[in-house]
Amino acid sequence: METAPAAGGVKIENSAAHCANGAKRHILSGRGESHIARGQDCFAQTHMPIRRIFETALVFGALFAAPMAGAKRLPPQKHAKTPAPAGAEPSSLSTRVVAYKIDATLVPREHKINASETLVYKNLTGQPLQTFPFHMYLNAFQPQSTFMTEMRLYGTRGNSSGTDWDPKHFGSETVTKLEVDGIGDVTKSIHFIHPDDNNAQDRTVFQVSLPHPVAPGDSVIFHMNFVDVMPEVVERTGYKRDFYMVGQWFPKIGVWWHNQWNCHQFHATTEFFADFGTFDVNVTVPQDDVVGAAGDLVSSKNNADGTKTLAFHSEDVHDFSWTASPHFTDVEDSWTGSAGTVKIHLLMSPGHMGSAPRYMQALKGTLAYYDKNVGPYPYDRITVVDPPHGAADAGGMEYPTLITAGTTWYMPKGVLEPEAVVAHEFGHQYWYGMVATNEFEEAWLDEGINSYEEVKIMDALYGPKTSMINLPFAQLSDAEAQRTSYLGLPDYDPLTRFAWKFVDDQSYGGITYGKTATVLLTLEKMIGEDKMREVMRQYFMRYRFTHPTGADFLNTINEVSGRNFDWYFNQAVSGTNILDYEIRDVHSDPVKWYESVSTGPRVYRSYVTVHRNGDFVFPVDVKITFDDKSSQTEHWDGRDRWIRYTYERTAKVTAAEIDPDHNVWLDSNFFNNSRTVESYHSATHKLLNIWVFVNEWISQLTSWIT
Amino acid sequence: MLDMAIDSTQRAPQPGPRAFLAGAGLVWTRQRILWWIFAVNLVLAFAGASFVAHNVAENSGAALNHSLESARRLVEGFDLSALGELSSLPEQPLRGTRTMFVWPSIFFTLFMIFSTGGILVSYYDDLRLDAAGFFEACGRHFWRFVRLAIYFIIVMIPVVFAGSAVGSLYDNVDDASVSPYSSVAFLAAVTLLFLFVLISIRIWFDMAQIISMAKNDRRMYRMLGRSAKLVWNNFGSLFWLYIRISVVGWVVFAAGLSLWMLVLPPDSTGPAILVGQAMTLFWLGTRLWQHASETEWYKRYRTALYQPVPMPPPPSVPPPIPDVESLPPS
Repeated sequence: METAPAAGGVKIENSAAHCANGAKRHILSGRGESHIARGQDCFAQTHMPIRRIFETALVFGALFAAPMAGAKRLPPQKHAKTPAPAGAEPSSLSTRVVAYKIDATLVPREHKINASETLVYKNLTGQPLQTFPFHMYLNAFQPQSTFMTEMRLYGTRGNSSGTDWDPKHFGSETVTKLEVDGIGDVTKSIHFIHPDDNNAQDRTVFQVSLPHPVAPGDSVIFHMNFVDVMPEVVERTGYKRDFYMVGQWFPKIGVWWHNQWNCHQFHATTEFFADFGTFDVNVTVPQDDVVGAAGDLVSSKNNADGTKTLAFHSEDVHDFSWTASPHFTDVEDSWTGSAGTVKIHLLMSPGHMGSAPRYMQALKGTLAYYDKNVGPYPYDRITVVDPPHGAADAGGMEYPTLITAGTTWYMPKGVLEPEAVVAHEFGHQYWYGMVATNEFEEAWLDEGINSYEEVKIMDALYGPKTSMINLPFAQLSDAEAQRTSYLGLPDYDPLTRFAWKFVDDQSYGGITYGKTATVLLTLEKMIGEDKMREVMRQYFMRYRFTHPTGADFLNTINEVSGRNFDWYFNQAVSGTNILDYEIRDVHSDPVKWYESVSTGPRVYRSYVTVHRNGDFVFPVDVKITFDDKSSQTEHWDGRDRWIRYTYERTAKVTAAEIDPDHNVWLDSNFFNNSRTVESYHSATHKLLNIWVFVNEWISQLTSWIT
Repeated sequence: MLDMAIDSTQRAPQPGPRAFLAGAGLVWTRQRILWWIFAVNLVLAFAGASFVAHNVAENSGAALNHSLESARRLVEGFDLSALGELSSLPEQPLRGTRTMFVWPSIFFTLFMIFSTGGILVSYYDDLRLDAAGFFEACGRHFWRFVRLAIYFIIVMIPVVFAGSAVGSLYDNVDDASVSPYSSVAFLAAVTLLFLFVLISIRIWFDMAQIISMAKNDRRMYRMLGRSAKLVWNNFGSLFWLYIRISVVGWVVFAAGLSLWMLVLPPDSTGPAILVGQAMTLFWLGTRLWQHASETEWYKRYRTALYQPVPMPPPPSVPPPIPDVESLPPS
């Protein structure tokens, strides 16, 4: 064990050793609690230098206690003291529709998973059900699938449009046997359906029809054997060398929603939707693998063939994923919130340990933010998976109680990407994990709301102007990054469009993430930050462990704010209107002698013309400044196309500015929001200087051939 | 025939250390060349950049020159999203940025090919050239150096192919290794190797230019052959000369950049311009310093080989021939 003083006088205890499974493990010391307190304090600060955050140096310690080595019964999963939604069992947080039991064996040599699954589906639909659809997500990674076809057309998160099919990304999921209790083998009645695009080559949804319906209130039990062929990491899942990120890997039943099955094909831009329930998953992997999973470890046993079988249990969640690698270093810590203590595991890949304190600090800050402002985190664990180099496509993804992050060996401290990813993906524990909206159809409800919360957290932790990039020569705030991301294609798609129906991946990303965050930032300025927090808290508390819709969210806003914002939602949420107001003209003319009756000091007539460029009607303030330092603020309802303000004063107008307090984040062009009478060239000179310098150097480098 | 023998086989009698300082002295004493080249570099770069700045001013609705927002986001700090927002405006005020970099580079490269002859003659001759002499030398060597530049590009083709092959190799190393540092180490090693190769090629061509200039020989292919033999036989000396000057340039560049980015306040335009242009001037100076040092090296090298050979001692004085008239009559 090494003990060394850290910056700021925080003692670092660093103890690294090898567990029975060969993994290095680090435990943060008990001082972690003080870090939490500091993390909470951060929210009161608008500018918190990163260096000070690091002074809360995370302390690495001894071995991760042995739950993975040898069979050991762990305490049952802890539940928060939160009321269950209607229909839920008294002891549960959610209405448990599904209960999955899966036995999975990883065959590393073939990158395969052989598994059996038992699914108990409880028919709570109030009507008899005879057909049952299942997602088969891994079949998306085939050349003619809908996913790949769309990816080639307009790109997706990990690949640009036109990306060629690469056989190493082949993935498949095959059900080799399907039996139903009381009915028998129905394997032959499996048939693939294509509800979204009639692509007969797409095999991401299959349906099975039973000989007789399942009565309301009854359960049906499916037994199936299936084989997964994992792709080399692509779109959130797969393998890289001996690293496995196993997500969307088992046949998952659709959701009976709005009186019909909701089971969409897997698209290039869509994510997931599922019912809550329980998961009991046994995973068999090589003994030297370190495993992280979206469940509590119940038992572990070593097998004679060099493998080990780990049993996990999870409840009140709607998905289960796991990861394995012999090279993970497990950094362990804990955090205590209003619902109890949360165990934290960072599974760090080789070369990335430098980012572990950054992940940890961001994670604790995010936990504290949500606990304070949104609601309790009811699970007793959170695992952060740091994919190894070359597996970036597995990063930046959320699963219940397990998220994937992303960093590199050289990540500069001033580039806050690892922090932002952690803040974002953890936020999905709330917006997707618990408030389980339909990600296929209303992606803005999870990605967009989560992006808004990410902005709030990053601003609170890292400063509002430097929350994404904080370098000596350049800065970028998360709010600006979100806003700028949708400006490229601002008016093709409304927020409410089904995720696979956006014009392309850029529009999907910009609108779903960036515009939603910007819409909510603008709304926050209208109703106030406290009221907005109350909106988010109410929305979460009402709809956690359910499947709310966009209307539920918007109604909550109207209700909590006590105002009707339908005029705003119609344009910003369900419309594609562009918000852009500009100062068209600012100038002053001396009043002519024949126009003036007074003989006092010279009077000027000043004009300010404001123009609504876009089709988004929004009330704005306009601040007019005069050369005697006086100013006047006008309020315009913004309905007409333009308005002109005229003043007769002894002072001349010097500038006019729309939205002087910078409340209207949704304005698509900040530059034309202000206009000065005098021209000044500081910005031009600065840009010109940089461009000239770069130009000179490129010229000199080119002339090196001479 | 004598020069042939010198270029092909002889090693320099250690002219390096003195050439390093003498080269710097030449750049200093003939600094009019440096200032002129700097001026051309600046004017071309400014012309390209002004074109884009004009575009921005024209197409961004007074975004830069009359906007309080641009002052806040670009002057008082440097908000990267401001550039993103500018580029996403429907008027596309940042369009043409690529063109801004392409044309000045092409013109400056042509200018350097043209002026290299004059530069080398200025550094080689002990007498200062007047403008007419300088441009006469430029014109005399222009097409020779154009051909040499073409040869240079041809030589670079396999290097570029090797670069792409190394890229694939890098991917394989990166793919296979659990640790990211394996590929980093590989990349560092390959980068150093490529730097070595590129500098070697540059020295080879620099010396070809100098030999051609010194001999006033237009047969560039042959000059390349002679230069190759010369560089091969004196590689250590020449490489050390070149790399030392490069290191000085890199250090000054890093220091200047640090001063600009870390010390100067974001809204200080004037000092930033001065620092940036000083860096450019110095970098240009290091390239001329390399030319001057190599020229000086070659000059000293030739001088050393032309050292007058000591005359052999005169043969012993033969006995005086007796005066015929004094001989006794036979």
